[in-house]
Amino acid sequence: MQKDYAIIFVLGALIVAMIIAMSVFFLIKALRRGKKIGMDKKLITGAIRNSALFSIVPSIPIVVGVGIMMPALGIAIPWIRLTVIGALQYEVSAAAAAGASGPGATPTDIATAVIVMTLSILSGPIFNATFYKRYQGKLAQLRETNKRKMDAITGSLLAGMLAGIMSALLVGGAFGVGKPVTAENTGITTYGEVTLITLATSMGIMVICGILLKVTKQKWIESYALPLSILVSLLAAFFAVPVFAV
Amino acid sequence: MKKLNLMFTPDKREDYNNQMHSLGRTFTLVSLGFIFIVPIAYLIAAKTWPNWTVLAKCIPFILGYWAIGLIEAVSYAPLLGTGGQYLSFITGNISNLKLPAAINAQTIAKVEQGSEEQEIITTIAIAVSSIVTTVIILIGLIPLIIWQEQIVTVLTPISPYVLPAIFGALTLVVVAMYAKIAAIPFLVCIIISVIANAVGFGLDVATMIIVGMVISAISTTIMYRIQSKKIAAKEKAVIATLTESDTKDTDATDAIVEDIATENIKENVVNEEVIEVEEITEEEKKE
Repeated sequence: MQKDYAIIFVLGALIVAMIIAMSVFFLIKALRRGKKIGMDKKLITGAIRNSALFSIVPSIPIVVGVGIMMPALGIAIPWIRLTVIGALQYEVSAAAAAGASGPGATPTDIATAVIVMTLSILSGPIFNATFYKRYQGKLAQLRETNKRKMDAITGSLLAGMLAGIMSALLVGGAFGVGKPVTAENTGITTYGEVTLITLATSMGIMVICGILLKVTKQKWIESYALPLSILVSLLAAFFAVPVFAV
Repeated sequence: MKKLNLMFTPDKREDYNNQMHSLGRTFTLVSLGFIFIVPIAYLIAAKTWPNWTVLAKCIPFILGYWAIGLIEAVSYAPLLGTGGQYLSFITGNISNLKLPAAINAQTIAKVEQGSEEQEIITTIAIAVSSIVTTVIILIGLIPLIIWQEQIVTVLTPISPYVLPAIFGALTLVVVAMYAKIAAIPFLVCIIISVIANAVGFGLDVATMIIVGMVISAISTTIMYRIQSKKIAAKEKAVIATLTESDTKDTDATDAIVEDIATENIKENVVNEEVIEVEEITEEEKKE
């Protein structure tokens, strides 16, 4: 059963070109503005290097996500969907809701899934295109009149996000010990033990990097600390999964 | 004329921001256009129609994601900055890639919160992250087409552990900065998660992010108000002490002092002012 069409690949290429163009444009604008306000060049090159290094490892599972969706949707649609708004869990859930979650998905199922995927992610960009400027203006106004309040808001959102993520991972991991959970839509099994091992390894590597940074005063460690923590902890997960899968 | 030239870099922050909004809106609308064409092109290419019954059943699902998208757009905005917000909501993978990349870059650069430097570093981080991810996905398609089964078999089992791998380390870095604010939401989130898991209704990360942000917003507001009241009360006491010694019997001055104190209670007191007043009191005491 044919799942990929040349026109979808062409559209995919256009979307990728669009995203690269948008990113490059924004990058150039930020670089020029940074130069204009006299920002340290080292700070800017550091930000570019750190972000590029950081993004490599977490991008690989997105490629795997394309692979997971391939049997049901072909290659072009998962590629487009995971290049633009959304994430694997959203897309897979949308495909499952539309009945396109297995190799037997028909063109009708795929068409339904693509429509559901496209419609589901619209609210964020539409908000940006319509209300965001006004909303951001209010935020900027608040920052000018009461910086302490604005800092408190920003801090609380970040802290809340981290609190939510960490509690879900820690408690989910603890409750998942000895009780692996297999996701219905992806078929991927999560082991509580591996979640906790990954978390602990990631934290452990970061602590080691922090100590090394303090002791050796080697500034470059700072740039590699997070990518290294992610890489080593994912390696730990890679080796731990077969142990608990037995 | 210069304002219309999008490659021109304005002198004022406000003008730069406006330019980023114009760019962001344009790119968002064009991207949405492309994204919308995909299902239409698929329908034409596959010569098929969607299953309308299934599509109708998916409406609650779509509405649910609209709500999530709106909450994300509103709550992530102060963290992503202008450029970052537009980029993130087109390229996706915000909580697992764009936001951590921005936080990491900000932490290393040690830029002041809310400053223009922070905004620029965030935009750079998210733009670079978007380019890297897009290129990696593109390059990854080649081995994926050839060895799809092998790659998926080998790498799929570790995909649920990307979030713990990122946030284990990142939380350690950020927690030191927001330990005071994070303590209450973290505790409450843990309690909610434990209860939810105990009753067999485990809440996923996406849901807990929203729960955490709501709890954090409430607890920070309470803490902020308490702190503001304390600061105002402190200042009131200081001003009262000052005026008592200088103009003991002047009723008019008392009224002015009262006015100043009341004004300050209206949440516009900054820490620096308090420190300044405290320093003055110290000096007065010494004298």
